[in-house]
Amino acid sequence: MAKSLAAEPAGLGRVMSPSGTDYSRALAVRERRFATALLAPAFLALMATTTFPLLYLIWTSVHRMDLAMPFADGFVGFDNYRELLQDSRFWASLAVSLIYTGTTVVLQVVIGLALALLVMGMKRGQGLFRIIAILPVVLSPAVVGMVWRTFMLAPEFGIVDYFAIMAGLGSQNWLGDPTLALVSVVVIHTWQWTPFAFMVLLASLAALPDDIYEAARIDRASAWQRFKRITLPLLRPAIVMVIIMRTMVALTAFAAIFTVTGGGPGTATEILNLYAYRKSFTELSIGYGSALAVALLIVTVLISAVLFAVRRAR
Amino acid sequence: MKNTEFTRRAFLKSGVATSAALAAAPSLLNGAMAQEADLAPYKAAKIDWQQFKGETITVAVIPATYFDNLITLAPQFEALTGITVRFEKIPPAQIRQKSVIDLTSKTGTYATHAADPMYYSLYAANKWVEPMETYLSDASLTDPAWFKLDDIVPAWRNANSVDGKLLGMPYDGEVTLQVYRKDLYDAKGLKPADDLQTFVSNAAAVHNPDARVWGAALRGVAGAGQNVYIYSSLFREFGGQWFKDGRLTVNGPEAEAALTWYVDLMRKYAPAAAQNWNWPDIADAFSQGTIGTYVDAHSSASVVNNPEKSKVIGKVAYARWPKGPSGKRVTSIWNWGFPINAALPDKRKKATWLFIQWAACAETQARTAHRFAGPAKRSGVNRISIWQDPAYVGLMRGFGDNFVEATLASLQDDTDVDWRPRVPQWPAIGDTLATAIQSALAGQATAKAALDEAQKRIEPMMRG
Repeated sequence: MAKSLAAEPAGLGRVMSPSGTDYSRALAVRERRFATALLAPAFLALMATTTFPLLYLIWTSVHRMDLAMPFADGFVGFDNYRELLQDSRFWASLAVSLIYTGTTVVLQVVIGLALALLVMGMKRGQGLFRIIAILPVVLSPAVVGMVWRTFMLAPEFGIVDYFAIMAGLGSQNWLGDPTLALVSVVVIHTWQWTPFAFMVLLASLAALPDDIYEAARIDRASAWQRFKRITLPLLRPAIVMVIIMRTMVALTAFAAIFTVTGGGPGTATEILNLYAYRKSFTELSIGYGSALAVALLIVTVLISAVLFAVRRAR
Repeated sequence: MKNTEFTRRAFLKSGVATSAALAAAPSLLNGAMAQEADLAPYKAAKIDWQQFKGETITVAVIPATYFDNLITLAPQFEALTGITVRFEKIPPAQIRQKSVIDLTSKTGTYATHAADPMYYSLYAANKWVEPMETYLSDASLTDPAWFKLDDIVPAWRNANSVDGKLLGMPYDGEVTLQVYRKDLYDAKGLKPADDLQTFVSNAAAVHNPDARVWGAALRGVAGAGQNVYIYSSLFREFGGQWFKDGRLTVNGPEAEAALTWYVDLMRKYAPAAAQNWNWPDIADAFSQGTIGTYVDAHSSASVVNNPEKSKVIGKVAYARWPKGPSGKRVTSIWNWGFPINAALPDKRKKATWLFIQWAACAETQARTAHRFAGPAKRSGVNRISIWQDPAYVGLMRGFGDNFVEATLASLQDDTDVDWRPRVPQWPAIGDTLATAIQSALAGQATAKAALDEAQKRIEPMMRG
């Protein structure tokens, strides 16, 4: 990636050189060197901060690196990966990750789209609504997690629990029950990030041409028909983009779950990311933790590839 | 207009407050200076305190009053030795990881840190810290007659030793105790529980959620230092052995019985939220009068006696752990100790030792406890002699009936070195066990299923 960038200005230099004289060729070479020199620091910084750590992660993942048993450390090939495939907690955390990602993304798109359609119909107050809607997005996930844990979901004292009691559902242990805890973290993520989908979809809706709707109205298309046949197809690129972006973030989510449940109760909300963290930094089994992180990377890349393919098709 | 006026006023007000604080500062400084002048008790030690003048060391501690008091007195240490000390406060949840990362990378960032006793086996396996013996036996560095190592709580020294070698000097510690509401117990004619059965029946007797009083609460939140902290005592009281035929075992009938007892108590008599509570949450709830009894660190007494928040002052009493079916009482052996980072240059190691010696000596322990000028007094001093000092004991009695007696009896009779399994793999084992306990508390798995699963995960961790 960075390499092709480095080549580009040099290529431009060649195109711009007037003829094939020696002087201009020398100039082009010099210019290419100069461009390389200019790009080198950024290229090296990029290598040092992204590529190198990634390679080191993969390198670590084929080693046994266990701080509790330093005498057993060493190269183990694919042992960590073999162990990973038989690790029921890996599969469980992968399942939690997929459920978490799937539900949050669907909810964000559906609610975001519904809100966008509603707000589009508003005559006044759109600006205010947008400002209010954007607030959760700018908060740090860790802060959101703390707020929900203490003010919203605490049994007996939290706002959500208060409404549950009012509604006759009784006090619930929102973060203590395995199913409710998973529902809670899904709701928290959806609450925080739906405004993002909403803003993107609202902007795309505003850009849709009016004349198509007018033609449809003349043809007596119902509201549902207009939505299904016109709005959805025209919004498709925006929706797919939102899905891609939100999926990547949800797969690698960490802070909110870490602060709200820490993966608990038990392992009910332990996403793959959190499991990799606990293996590496709590259990100090860094080799195996790296293998888990690489597995997460592979899953994320695969899912993104599928989504990008879907985007390109049609 | 109104707005600007308001902000100006607010600004003026805060200005007044600041200048008042500034005006008060010299008197505070004078106080510190007065203390600073009095270095005579330290100079009685037959060592040269100034031998590492000019060194700088960094010490990682947790944000807690017992360390804040030490930080306040640090200028005295600097005056005494000419060594500069920099403190870094790291929350308890991160200090273990941060120090392990520092130790494993051998950068020597933290000359010493507040260490978890359960981590010394890990430190020893990697040779990350220095044995204290090297420094204790060097006459140019330590005056044994002045330092009096034997005066430091033996249980804590044992907890910080691996293969008989002391690796970290205890600074402040705690034991777990029964804390109960005297008024509620008296009203029902109850006595503090002598065994776990009575503990449950007491909880049942005072349990009245309609009047917002729950019978009992224990730490439920997952963590090697949270739910495992309480569970380990139960496991040992039910007769559990961590090692069976040299093999670390966390399941089996005793473990199941202990975990079942824990789960039943929490389900029946604790608020539902307690499953996610750590000790501050329990102490807060207790101080609001909503909990009948709990078992937790004796240091939580300062929370339930906080005059600004507590509604139960004067109604609190203490007792030792209730006995388990095995007839044993098993309290926690917890202390924050100071080890010496082995990655330091030799001279700085010795300078660090001077700091540790200063922090752990009887004089500094007294100055940070009952003789401390500020409002917060420590309840976890490391010296037996201070626990026998009438001035200190008198102060501690203020926490409620039987506080001093129960704490001392627990420290002397109820500690058990094998309270938790002391192996280098503890961080992984503790986390696995914590997850198992929590899944049983949450009803995700039965006690047996949770513990069997934990055993299955722990076995490969122990294989070399």
